[in-house]
Amino acid sequence: MESYLLEMKEISKSFGAVKALKGASLNLKSGEVLALMGENGAGKSTLMNVLSGSLHPDEGEILLEGVKREIKNPIQARSLGIVKIHQELQIVPELDIAENIFLGRWQTAGIGFVQKKKMHDMAKECLKMLEWEIDTRTKLKDLRIGEQQLVEIAKAISCEAKIIVMDEPTSALSEPEAGKLFHVIEKLKKKGCGIIYITHRMEEVFKISDRLSVMRDGEYIGTKEAGETNNDEIIAMMVGRSVEDQYPKRNVEIGDVVLEVKNLSFTPPKGSFKRSLKDISFNVRSGEVLGIAGLAGAGRSEVFESIVGKHATCTTGEILMDGKTMQIRSPKDAIAAGISFATEDRKGTGLILGRSIGDNISLPLYDRYASFGFMRDGKQKKDWLEYMKKLRVKAKSPAVPVGSLSGGNQQKVILARWLLTKPKVLLLDEPTRGIDVGAKEEIYLLINELAASGLAVVVISSELPEVIGICDRIITLCEGRLTGEISKEEATQEILLAAATNRKEVVEA
Amino acid sequence: MDADKLKIQKIESFLKQFQSYIALIIIVVVATLINIKDGENVFLSVPNLMNVLRAVSETGIIAIGMTMILILGDIDLSVGSIVGLVSTGCASLMVRNGLGMFPAVLLSLLIGALYGLFNGLCVTKLKLQAFIVTLASMNIARGLARFWSNGVGIPLAYGEGEGFAPPAFGLLQEKAFGVIPAPVIIFISLLLIFQCVLSKTSFGRKVYAIGGNKNASYLAGIPVDRIKIIAFMLCSMLSAVAAMIHAAQISQGGPNEGIGYELNAVAACAIGGTSLAGGKGTMIGTLVGAIILGLLDNVLGLKGVNSNLQLMVKGLIIIVAVFMQSERKSD
Repeated sequence: MESYLLEMKEISKSFGAVKALKGASLNLKSGEVLALMGENGAGKSTLMNVLSGSLHPDEGEILLEGVKREIKNPIQARSLGIVKIHQELQIVPELDIAENIFLGRWQTAGIGFVQKKKMHDMAKECLKMLEWEIDTRTKLKDLRIGEQQLVEIAKAISCEAKIIVMDEPTSALSEPEAGKLFHVIEKLKKKGCGIIYITHRMEEVFKISDRLSVMRDGEYIGTKEAGETNNDEIIAMMVGRSVEDQYPKRNVEIGDVVLEVKNLSFTPPKGSFKRSLKDISFNVRSGEVLGIAGLAGAGRSEVFESIVGKHATCTTGEILMDGKTMQIRSPKDAIAAGISFATEDRKGTGLILGRSIGDNISLPLYDRYASFGFMRDGKQKKDWLEYMKKLRVKAKSPAVPVGSLSGGNQQKVILARWLLTKPKVLLLDEPTRGIDVGAKEEIYLLINELAASGLAVVVISSELPEVIGICDRIITLCEGRLTGEISKEEATQEILLAAATNRKEVVEA
Repeated sequence: MDADKLKIQKIESFLKQFQSYIALIIIVVVATLINIKDGENVFLSVPNLMNVLRAVSETGIIAIGMTMILILGDIDLSVGSIVGLVSTGCASLMVRNGLGMFPAVLLSLLIGALYGLFNGLCVTKLKLQAFIVTLASMNIARGLARFWSNGVGIPLAYGEGEGFAPPAFGLLQEKAFGVIPAPVIIFISLLLIFQCVLSKTSFGRKVYAIGGNKNASYLAGIPVDRIKIIAFMLCSMLSAVAAMIHAAQISQGGPNEGIGYELNAVAACAIGGTSLAGGKGTMIGTLVGAIILGLLDNVLGLKGVNSNLQLMVKGLIIIVAVFMQSERKSD
C-alpha cells in the first residue's frame, strides 16, 4: 500500500440545514500536484478550510503521514506544515511586500525589534524563486491584483510548507506570471511538497497536475491520473453531464461603428501606480465583440477607466459615439452617452454587498425610478424581475442581499444593472474571473445574445482561449500602447502572446 | 437533531435582529418594577414618560442627522458646538437685534446650513477625513459662539420691545393638549420625515449606496460629493433646530451649551444599530437608541443614583449595547 502525505476520510460538514460536505475524501502524495476540481458550491473551498483549520468537520478524520491529527486552527495548521493561499487575498494594503510576506512571523531580535534588513533580504530570496524583480519596499496597495497574488504565493514559499493549498492562484495572473508560478510549483514538487491546486481553468490543469480529484455537491466523485483522462471527461464528472463546446458559436450581422476612440492618452497623477496610456485608437461596431488582450499591468483596465471619464482631468483624446464627439467628464456622463462599464473587481468597485439584488441592479437609475424624489418600487420590481429572468440570476427574490450570491450570479446582477441603463456599448473587464465552468458558459451565451441584439461589446480577459473563443476581433496592449489588431480567424494563443509582449509600437496600416 | 438546531438558530437570529427593541422593553419593565411605591408608580406615569421624551428630543434631533452621516461612512463631531453657536446666535438676534421669531429662526437655520456646507466642502472637495474636518470645525463653531456673545449667556425674557424675545418663540416651552411637549412633537415629526427620506426617496437610496460602496456608486454615476454635502448641511440644520429648542427650554442662549452632544448622538445611533463603518442604519433604530439613553438617565435619576455613578453606568451600558450590535454584524 502506498503511503500518503495527507489523507482526509469521510469528512462531513453542515451549515445549518445545508450539508456542504457529505463524506468527502481526498488523499495527497508527496511530490505531486493534485488538482481539486468541481463547480462553485461543490465543496472544494469548504474541504480546504477544514484542512487549514478554519472550519471544524462534523465527522471524519484527517491523517498526516499516517498519523491522525486534529487541526484546531490555522496557526496549528501552519505549524503542521499546511499553508493555504486564499482566493480572496489576505493582504495588508498599507504594508510593504516584505512585511506582508512575514506578517505575524516578523524576524525579530532581542526584545522584539524587527530586523528589517533581514526580512527584506529573505523576502528577496522568495521573490527570486518567483523570478520577480521588484523593490520589496513597495506597498501592497500600489500593486495590481495579479502582483498581490504573487506576494501571497511568496508568503507560502517562505513558510517552507509541506502541503500547500492553492485556491485559484492564477485567476488574477497574466500568462507569463502564471508561467512563473508553474515553474515554482515544479521546484516545490522536487522538494517533496504536496500541492492541492484548485482552478477553473482546464488548460492549466493538464499542464501541471499529476492527478485530478473531482467533487460535486459536497461529495467525492473520483480521481483520475492526468495522463489517462481528458478535458471532456473531467468536465462531465464535474457537472454530471457532458459539455460539448465551451464557447458557443454565434452568427451575428456586424453593423456600423458605434464607439470610436481616438488618440486616447492617460497620464496618471503623481503617486498613482496606474499604467499611463499613449495614443490608443480603436473602434467597435454594433453586434461585434472586441477583445482586449494584454498582460496584467499593460493598461487594459485603464483604457476602460479613461473612456468612462474616471480620470477625466488626466486624460486626453476623443471619444465618438455614432460619429459624434462626446464630452465625458465622469462616469455619469458615460452612462448618459450609452457606455456601460462593469469593472474587474466585483466586490471592490462593482457591488454594494450589504444591499439587495434589486438595489444593486437599479444603482445607476435611482433618479429614473423616482418621481418627485420618491422611489416607485412597483416599476422597479417589474424591471428587476424581468432582468433577473433574462440573465438567469438564481435567487429567490430581488430582496436577497447580493453578498449571499455565488460569483457567477453576482456577475449576472452586475450585467443586469448595466443592461438596464440601455447602453449602446458594454465594457466588460474580466467578466468571468473566479466563476465556475457552468456559469462561465452562461456569461458567454449572454454576451452573444447581447451582441446579437445590436450592442457593441468590449471584453478584457486574461484567459487567451476565452478571448479567442468569444471575440470577433482582438486588440493587444503592451505597456500602455496598442501593439496589435488580430481577427478571430488568425488569432492563436501564440500570436496574441507575441503581440502582447511586443515592446515596440506597431505602426498601424 | 437538525430540526432542533435550526429552531435554536432561528430564535437566535430573531433575538439578534430585534435586540435593541428587546433591551428597550427590558429597561421599561425593570424600571416599572423597581419604581413602585405605595401602589403608585413614579416611572410609569404620563408626565414622567413625556419628560423622558422631552429630554431626549434634542439629542434625538441631532442623532437623526448623525444617522445619515454615519450611514455615509463619515462622522460629524461639530454638532454640539453648533448647538452652542446657534443657541447663542438665535438668542442674540432676537434679544439684541430685536428680530422677530421667523427671521431669527430662518437665519439660525441658514447658519446651520452654511456650517454644514463648510464641513461638506472640506470633506468632498479637499478630500479630508470627516473626523478631522469636524473636529476642527467643532472648535471654530465654539469660538464663534463665544466671540458673538462675549462669552456670556443671553437670557431669553419674553415680551414686547427692546431687550425681549418674541413671545412666539416661547411656544417651544409649551405642551400640546397640556400633555405632549412641543419639542417631542418636532422630534417625532422630523424622525418620521427622515425615516421616509431614507427608505422611500432616491436620495436615501443613494446615501445607503455611497456608504456601502463609494467606488461602485461613483462608477454608477451617483453624484457622491453632492449627496455628502447635502447630508452634512441637513445634519447641521437639524443641530440648529435642536439648538433653538435647547435655548427655549433653558430660556437662555449660551455659547457653552451643547458640550458633549456629539457623543450622545453617536451613542444613540450606535445603540440603534447604525454601523460606524457606513452602509447600515435606520431612523427607528436611532429613536430606540435615543430613548434607551434617556430612560437610563431618568431611571437612575429617579432612584437617586449619584450623578458620577450615573455617567459610569451609562458608559458601560453603551459598550454592552454596541458589543451586541457588533455580534449581529459578524453573522
